[in-house]
Amino acid sequence: MPYLGSEDVVKELKKALCNPHIQADRLRYRNVIQRVIRMPGVQEYIQQPILNGLRDKASYVRRVAVLGCAKMHNLHGDSEVDGALVNELYSLLRDQDPIVVVNCLRSLEEILKQEGGVVINKPIAHHLLNRMSKLDQWGQAEVLNFLLRYQPRSEEELFDILNLLDSFLKSSSPGVVMGATKLFLILAKKFPHVQTDVLVRVKGPLLAACSSESRELCFAALCHVRQILHSLPGHFSSHYKKFFCSYSEPHYIKLQKVEVLCELVNDENVQQVLEELRGYCTDVSADFAQAAIFAIGGIARTYTDQCVQILTELLGLRQEHITTVVVQTFRDLVWLCPQCTEAVCQALPGCEENIQDSEGKQALIWLLGVHGERIPNAPYILEDFVENVKSETFPAVKMELLTALVRLFLSRPAECQDMLGRLLYYCIEEEKNMAVRDRGLFYYRLLLVGIDEVKRILCSPKSDPSLGLLEDQAERPVNSWASDFNTLVPVYGKARWATISKCVGAEHGGSERSHTASFAVSGHLISEENKGRVQEAPDSETLMLVPNCQLTAEYFEKTWLSLEVAHQQVLPWQGEVHPDTLQMALQVVNIQTIAMSRAGSQPWKAYLSAQDDTGCLFLTELLLESENSEMQISVKQSEARTETLNSFMSVLETVIGTIGDIKS
Amino acid sequence: MIQSLFLINCSGDIFLEKHWKSVVSQSVCDYFFEAQEKAADVENVPPVISTPHHYLISIYQDKLFFVSVIQTEVPPLFVIEFLHRVADTFQDYFGECSEAAIKDNVVIVYELLEEMLDNGFPLATESNILKELIKPPTILRSVVSSITGSSNVGDTLPTGQLSNIPGHQVGIEYTNNEAYFDVVEEIDAILGKSGSTVFAEIQGVIDACIKLSGMPNLSLSFMNPRLLDDVSFHPCIRFKCWESERVLSFIPPDGNFRLISYRVSSQNLVAIPAYVKHSISFKENSSSKYGKTIEGITVTVHMPKVVPNMNLTPTQGSYTFDPVTKVLTWDVGKITPQKLPSLKGLVNLQSGAPKPEENPSLNIQFKIQQLAISGLKVNRLDMYGEKYKPFKGVKYVTKAGKFQVRT
Repeated sequence: MPYLGSEDVVKELKKALCNPHIQADRLRYRNVIQRVIRMPGVQEYIQQPILNGLRDKASYVRRVAVLGCAKMHNLHGDSEVDGALVNELYSLLRDQDPIVVVNCLRSLEEILKQEGGVVINKPIAHHLLNRMSKLDQWGQAEVLNFLLRYQPRSEEELFDILNLLDSFLKSSSPGVVMGATKLFLILAKKFPHVQTDVLVRVKGPLLAACSSESRELCFAALCHVRQILHSLPGHFSSHYKKFFCSYSEPHYIKLQKVEVLCELVNDENVQQVLEELRGYCTDVSADFAQAAIFAIGGIARTYTDQCVQILTELLGLRQEHITTVVVQTFRDLVWLCPQCTEAVCQALPGCEENIQDSEGKQALIWLLGVHGERIPNAPYILEDFVENVKSETFPAVKMELLTALVRLFLSRPAECQDMLGRLLYYCIEEEKNMAVRDRGLFYYRLLLVGIDEVKRILCSPKSDPSLGLLEDQAERPVNSWASDFNTLVPVYGKARWATISKCVGAEHGGSERSHTASFAVSGHLISEENKGRVQEAPDSETLMLVPNCQLTAEYFEKTWLSLEVAHQQVLPWQGEVHPDTLQMALQVVNIQTIAMSRAGSQPWKAYLSAQDDTGCLFLTELLLESENSEMQISVKQSEARTETLNSFMSVLETVIGTIGDIKS
Repeated sequence: MIQSLFLINCSGDIFLEKHWKSVVSQSVCDYFFEAQEKAADVENVPPVISTPHHYLISIYQDKLFFVSVIQTEVPPLFVIEFLHRVADTFQDYFGECSEAAIKDNVVIVYELLEEMLDNGFPLATESNILKELIKPPTILRSVVSSITGSSNVGDTLPTGQLSNIPGHQVGIEYTNNEAYFDVVEEIDAILGKSGSTVFAEIQGVIDACIKLSGMPNLSLSFMNPRLLDDVSFHPCIRFKCWESERVLSFIPPDGNFRLISYRVSSQNLVAIPAYVKHSISFKENSSSKYGKTIEGITVTVHMPKVVPNMNLTPTQGSYTFDPVTKVLTWDVGKITPQKLPSLKGLVNLQSGAPKPEENPSLNIQFKIQQLAISGLKVNRLDMYGEKYKPFKGVKYVTKAGKFQVRT
């Protein structure tokens, strides 16, 4: 085998590769360039045969020779890109054999990886579009992917392309269908009605993939269905029965289906969907049952009464794994939908016997603490927990218990006082866990201050319906996920993907890239348009501000007094300053705040410091006098250098300008 | 695209690995094993697993895991489809896709993988082209090759390579010109506790086996093409023709291929051919009773874990119970409408175990020959472009797909 060549074999091969007779035997020639290439020691001998192979008469030889170029390039490592070879490959895109064409694209993509891959210009794009129907399914899927890079010049051209690709939305291969869908979504990004239309047309194939024989295909398709539902919540509502789980399906499919069901629920199907989900709640698999209960909890935000009734019935089963999840769902629900509090309070008594895990106990104790005045026997349930606190294994439960009991003490002091005393005593005197002990001491001291202060601190609002609205408005535009369609992102979730790509980025691009990445991520405070500006400024002007430069106030004062003002500038400013916002924004660009006046004080002042990578210090004073509505900036620099000073000023201006924009 | 492939059996041994680019260490599979352990049941291993530097995309088929290692962003459906194609090719070559078959033919397996994927990209995946390059094993050939040491690699390049029609070879003459079509429909259904249909749908495919000389142009028409809801087509079909006239017009590839697959979802169209009456209740003495109509039936029931054994008497067919996996299989066979088979008896529970909350669901398999349950009928098949008269034939079969009865 070619992998394990001894010296003799290598010698033989070298001889063979130079032999024109072997090059004449097509099949052997082909196998040689396809397989021998990875063998060490024959690389310089393989180059000529491969180049000859590119011009061979037999398409089969050309196919492997084209990919051979990419392999050869990889073997040579960092060697420079051979311009002549690249040109030859580009010209082979016109080859009459479709697989040669696709292989050319693949090969160029690898060779030109550093330069951003193969370039798809108008002639190439149109050539590929015309050859599409001749390709095999793999080729079609890949060419559709490559075509994403092409930007049609005119609307007319765009719709011509869409017409040409129409039939691929009905292809028998789900991979091609998804590839075509993505291309349609991306090309038509300015035409929302076209996008919606495409999603309607692809509904059939997608549903077919969801019930395909292959479970893995099913899974991937379901993930994409969820993605589409984010933008078009009603899209699959009439097909909700498609997403009913059957017993024999693997877990990952069932979990996806439950999520989908939870998202496509509407007035017409809510009854059936809930009935179905109710059935899953008693499934043999605890994980699946819990997922179904959480799904019902999700639906409860819109259809509260029906769901709370189902959940209450589930409590009657007295199964541990069910009760704990139901109580957790209740906790989340009363926070978002205060109207169901009454029903939840009635359902709670009796649950404590069936909850053993930390999460469930915490949820129950929280509910008892916050809504204890509506549950007649709340203090007695908590008393049980206090009695058994010594044998309680989870510190989180103990902390929750402390908070809940103090809260309940405020509304029902007579019943709780004794118990609270015992609990505080235990936590302060006997508890080994420091967090719990500290929490106990905290409440103890708080109670010493006086009951009014405790009330002020602990009795926060009991629900926040607006939070639910915030979450529901997640009807995101199609364009926000179109570029993720048909990639691993919908399958694995965005957050997960970000960490992975960061890993890969660090591997390839070194530390520089990961630095800018974290820079961009932490810039969320600054509005989108300005983010670019802020980011570019330090890069382009060769000013690198060092993060974590910590100056003490004394040192700052000393330096400030010893330096002359290097630059003074006045910026327009309206209204008051929000020191927190400004401070966070400055932190993003690595400018530290040394001191700041309180909001609303007259005149308002702030002292800032920053240090660049050469050790040069920038000390800044911001002065705001509200009557003349402008911000005066004075900067002092430890080493006089105008170019870095200018770039520092531009960074500072951008931040202050942005904060001003947000306010006005 | 696809860097490496690992084949892993149910007990977690990597018994074959193939790398198309640089060698990826076997240790990458540890992440897979970790997920497998977490999933408890082999069937529940998630198909996409991420590791710090790679993605693992796997499929589970015939008790084997095909785990591919991916390093760049890829369309997941593409990779999954390709892995299935690999498994199907093994099935096609060796008659079964099992660890034993792959180990017996390990040389052919490597040759196949080398042909199917070059530098990580799919190269030749059509079975007829592959078979020209690499001969499938026969007893005679394996004896000869073990004596002479010759390989299975064909000694000429495939002839049909320059044809522009996918899979169609130019210049092949068949002595018998044949075109056969199988209309296979599967019913996916969930029947509710009360016997009502919770969900029902028909998945249909038309598989073709075509051996026609020259460049024939076929057109296949249906009596009732409007029945078909979502149709997906083999690349050879002219889509415009279907859109305008509802006729399948195509130049066929040689050999076996899937012409179209379709779906009939309108609920009223799906007439459920089989019903099961059941009454399972867990008491000290429990009884099960089934009633049925149709042919070739097997009923499988996943019993709860607390059932150690059972003693049942079927009126027809035979039953087996696997006490390890807790699966009851009742092979009913053929049924006549006059006499409904039933299965009655005692199901024992472990002493002291609580009564199970959930009744087990029944999975049912059956077959109906010469009937497409959706009512789809092929009207006629015409051939243009060639002079000879081919043999034509259409066969219909209806099967149960994911057919489940809740109790």
